[in-house]
Amino acid sequence: MAPIVRVSSLDKYFGRLHVLKNISLDVQPREVVCLIGRSGSGKSTLLRCINFLEEPSNGSIQVDGVTVESHGRGKEHRQLIHDVRLKTGMVFQEFNLFPHMSVLENVIEGPVTVKGMNRAEAISLAEENLDSVGMLFKKDEYPMRLSGGQKQRVAIARALTMQPRVMLFDEPTSALDPELIGEVLNVMKKVAKDGMTMLVVTHEMGFAREVADRVLVLGEGEIIEDAKPSALFSKPKDPRTKALIDRYRTGGR
Amino acid sequence: MENKTAQQKSQADLLVEAQQRKQNQFRMGAGATWGVLLLVLIFLFSGKTVLGFETIQLDTEFMRENIVFIGSGLGQTLLISILSISLAICLALLAALGRLSTFPPVFALSTFYVSLIRGTPLYLQIFFFFLALPQLGIILSGLMAGVLALGLNYGAYMSETFRAALSSVGKGQREAATALGMTPLQTMKRIILPQALRFAIPPMGNDFISMTKDSALVAATGFVHEVLWRATKVGRAQFNSLEALLMAAIFYWLMTLVLTFFQTRLEARLAKGDR
Ligand SMILES: Nc1ncnc2c1ncn2[C@@H]1O[C@H](COP(=O)(O)OP(=O)(O)OP(=O)(O)O)[C@@H](O)[C@H]1O
Ligand SMILES: [Mg+2]
Repeated sequence: MAPIVRVSSLDKYFGRLHVLKNISLDVQPREVVCLIGRSGSGKSTLLRCINFLEEPSNGSIQVDGVTVESHGRGKEHRQLIHDVRLKTGMVFQEFNLFPHMSVLENVIEGPVTVKGMNRAEAISLAEENLDSVGMLFKKDEYPMRLSGGQKQRVAIARALTMQPRVMLFDEPTSALDPELIGEVLNVMKKVAKDGMTMLVVTHEMGFAREVADRVLVLGEGEIIEDAKPSALFSKPKDPRTKALIDRYRTGGR
Repeated sequence: MENKTAQQKSQADLLVEAQQRKQNQFRMGAGATWGVLLLVLIFLFSGKTVLGFETIQLDTEFMRENIVFIGSGLGQTLLISILSISLAICLALLAALGRLSTFPPVFALSTFYVSLIRGTPLYLQIFFFFLALPQLGIILSGLMAGVLALGLNYGAYMSETFRAALSSVGKGQREAATALGMTPLQTMKRIILPQALRFAIPPMGNDFISMTKDSALVAATGFVHEVLWRATKVGRAQFNSLEALLMAAIFYWLMTLVLTFFQTRLEARLAKGDR
């Protein structure tokens, strides 16, 4: 099967700092891939290069048949980036809901403003997704009055309502109190079960073990391991992976 | 158990009551002091001699005769202020956005404007527009020259307010909008500006209040018949400048009191809102 996401020879520099080093990666449709690695290893940067929140320094990104080269310029290039963004939904560690809009307005903002969908249609789609993350009962509330877990579920509904082909999650539970993590992970499991292709940066090893089809380990800007979770957790090949897993086991990051 | 919660509740009530009493005492004290200060001011202008203290004697008949003439300048004062603040808001927004631009000429235009205007006195700017523009073949009424000068001046200062307001919106907001596929323009219009404006409204209220008074400088051109112009005119003509200026001062003060009242209410409403 053709991959739905293909990252080819991706390099990313921040100034002189070489953050991603010649990364290539394929993700198949419906696959759930977890990205783990030490802080600063480049997990967020890799995810953000896929939807061009960061401009790659080299290489190319392909999502669902749309290919964007790193050195493109001009109107066509911008259109390709826009197409890729429409095919990807993103969920941030800090939720980033729009505080001046109600929950429902947050969720219909993308479809109405970006896709030009008519309001009634957007609302019915939004309500469906809010219902599936268990947040329909708060649709008229403002984000300030939601708990962290509720905010993140709304953020997931907001991304889903754009009907993306791929969902990118950047540590979606890292800003949450421990007792609120479960509700967000459950929603993510449901999204995975519905067949969404997912790339998830996470420190939740339980989630990776249970839901991921593959786990990628990033170290100093390179993919140092790429394996099924069962294999990775039982016999890690790279000593750095082993150290990382041991740290999680003892409860550290 | 129930007993205990009842007790706790009444304790909480007591605390709230004590707090309210304290607040009321404070308000009453402050109000009384305002009253005393006002009485002292009125006394200063009463013309009576008390314990060897002489106070200022006012020509009350002159005041009665001219209060309407001076007061009818309020309309002009408000008109200038509203026109100028509207112009200022537009310019401030453009200047603040220009300041964030990565296109050198736009950035330069914005910084040049702010620097030039903030570097020269408002009084001088008003004269400049009134005297220099006709030489360029642009003839503006006194009112328009005044509005232009005040708008440009306040626009330069307010652009700093707007810049702070724009940068108060976290970069996560821009990223979330971008990830949804919004263009930079859509992101600005739908996500950044609404949040920034909310942040900017209180300082904008302050600027508006201070502008109602700076609008008096426009009187210096001699062609805008607002409050201060009228006071100066009748005062000079009838050698009652003190009375005339005093009345003008009262009008300005009353106007700012009313505006401050509305500003306080607006701020309270914004604070209660869903930030
Ligand atoms: N905008 C930026 N400008 C400069 N350096 C950056 C920027 N963003 C990230 N970096 C640097 O790039 C490296 C990788 O950062 P990245 O955020 O991708 O790491 P991460 O694996 O997501 O870490 P964490 O687990 O802490 O989120 C780090 O050294 C970081 O300091
Ligand atoms: Mg990160």
